[in-house]
Amino acid sequence: MATAWEWTPESKLCFVTTGATAPFTALIESVLSPSSLEALLESGFTHLLVQHGSAKDVFTKASSIARAHVQGQIVIDGIDFNPDGLQAQLRLVQQAKGLVISHAGSGSILEALRYQVPLIVVPNTSLLDNHQEELAVAMERSGYLLRGHVEDLSLAIRKSEEFRTRMSQFPPVTSGQHRETKSFAAIMDETVGFMD
Amino acid sequence: MAPPPSSLYTLSFALALLVTLFVAASLRLLAILPNARPSKAQLRGRPTTARVLVVLGSGGHTHEMFALLRDLDSRKYTHRTYVVSSGDAFSAQRAGAFEKALEERTARAQAGEEGSVAAEGGAPQIARNGRKETKRREERWHCVGPECYTIATIPRARRIHQPLYTTPFSALQTLLAAFHPLLGTSESDLPTLIITNGPATAVILILAAFILRFFNVRGAESRGLCRTVYVESFARVRTLSLSGKLLVRVVDRFLVQWEGLEGYAGRAEYCGILV
Repeated sequence: MATAWEWTPESKLCFVTTGATAPFTALIESVLSPSSLEALLESGFTHLLVQHGSAKDVFTKASSIARAHVQGQIVIDGIDFNPDGLQAQLRLVQQAKGLVISHAGSGSILEALRYQVPLIVVPNTSLLDNHQEELAVAMERSGYLLRGHVEDLSLAIRKSEEFRTRMSQFPPVTSGQHRETKSFAAIMDETVGFMD
Repeated sequence: MAPPPSSLYTLSFALALLVTLFVAASLRLLAILPNARPSKAQLRGRPTTARVLVVLGSGGHTHEMFALLRDLDSRKYTHRTYVVSSGDAFSAQRAGAFEKALEERTARAQAGEEGSVAAEGGAPQIARNGRKETKRREERWHCVGPECYTIATIPRARRIHQPLYTTPFSALQTLLAAFHPLLGTSESDLPTLIITNGPATAVILILAAFILRFFNVRGAESRGLCRTVYVESFARVRTLSLSGKLLVRVVDRFLVQWEGLEGYAGRAEYCGILV
């Protein structure tokens, strides 16, 4: 993937991850739609990397149309699901002042936030009885991420640059706005009865 | 004159026996169930080291669990047992990776303060824990490496596509298997602390721990061991998971990560986002 790319200091990467078990195909299509691509171009993105997982056919189809649309202004590439996690890609995003667009699975959210990069989370509205939407709303309210809609991502993409400057630190620092914030290690010690 | 032994088989005797057992069991339950206030530091005496048992679940649960454990101090928690469900190779692999990282972190830390530690000849003794738990001096050894952790596998409570009517049997099988990691070997002690964040296996394991405390097996209750801590998933913002609802009144401490869930059933504690 990225090693074959031409990488300059001006390069800006948008990384999209769609979940391991059942790839969120509507998100792949949405990111590669003309309105999203326009928003990415406007915000100065030069690279788009999509982790499509098992939905490679969806990605291949949508990306060929998208490539024709952007005419080489954005390099578009896809990767499979990596069981070892997203560290390599997220580090790249961090270096390239980039953006992560993710499905609303808590694992991916947690992983992305540790890299202090702007994150757009897109709840999968077609799933019944899940708490993705709830979590995304609560996280957005706390200023950790932006919530995007699968029907139209362009608004969230345009907001992401300004969001970079005001995003809250995650995990939250142990003091300040939370009344009684403790680390889990401290809670364990307290329960066992360790004294410092 | 004493009644003939045959009177022992009468219905009224059986009823009296049942009622007595019921009352005794209820009193015992009341005694060991956590009271409405979260119990903190109820242990007799002041322990210097502890064994911890971690119940891992499927992908998301396991991921969050290792985020919770990121600052684990191997000098205090000298033995770790990870319980995984059969067929969950991912969780077992993550547990191994976590221990490896712990080992590397310790090696780096020790390289930093080489002089002081080397003087006491620390390194070779780290692995031998367990027996000398009462010695305060032991406190400073980092317990890392293969001898300081176990990965135990227990059968799944319910496999995917398993018919519903056979679930009680497989759950019972899981319950029986759950005693193994809790009891460990004859040389190791019961865990001091049991940590979980909600996979189905955890409900059964906590039930097993509860049974040990009910019958005070190997002093589980009298020595204040098998304390349970449940952490509701960070993905749960406004409602508890099924495991959470089942365990909220049973575990010693019930932690939630969103303010809206604070005080659920009068027990849920909110300490901010922990993952």
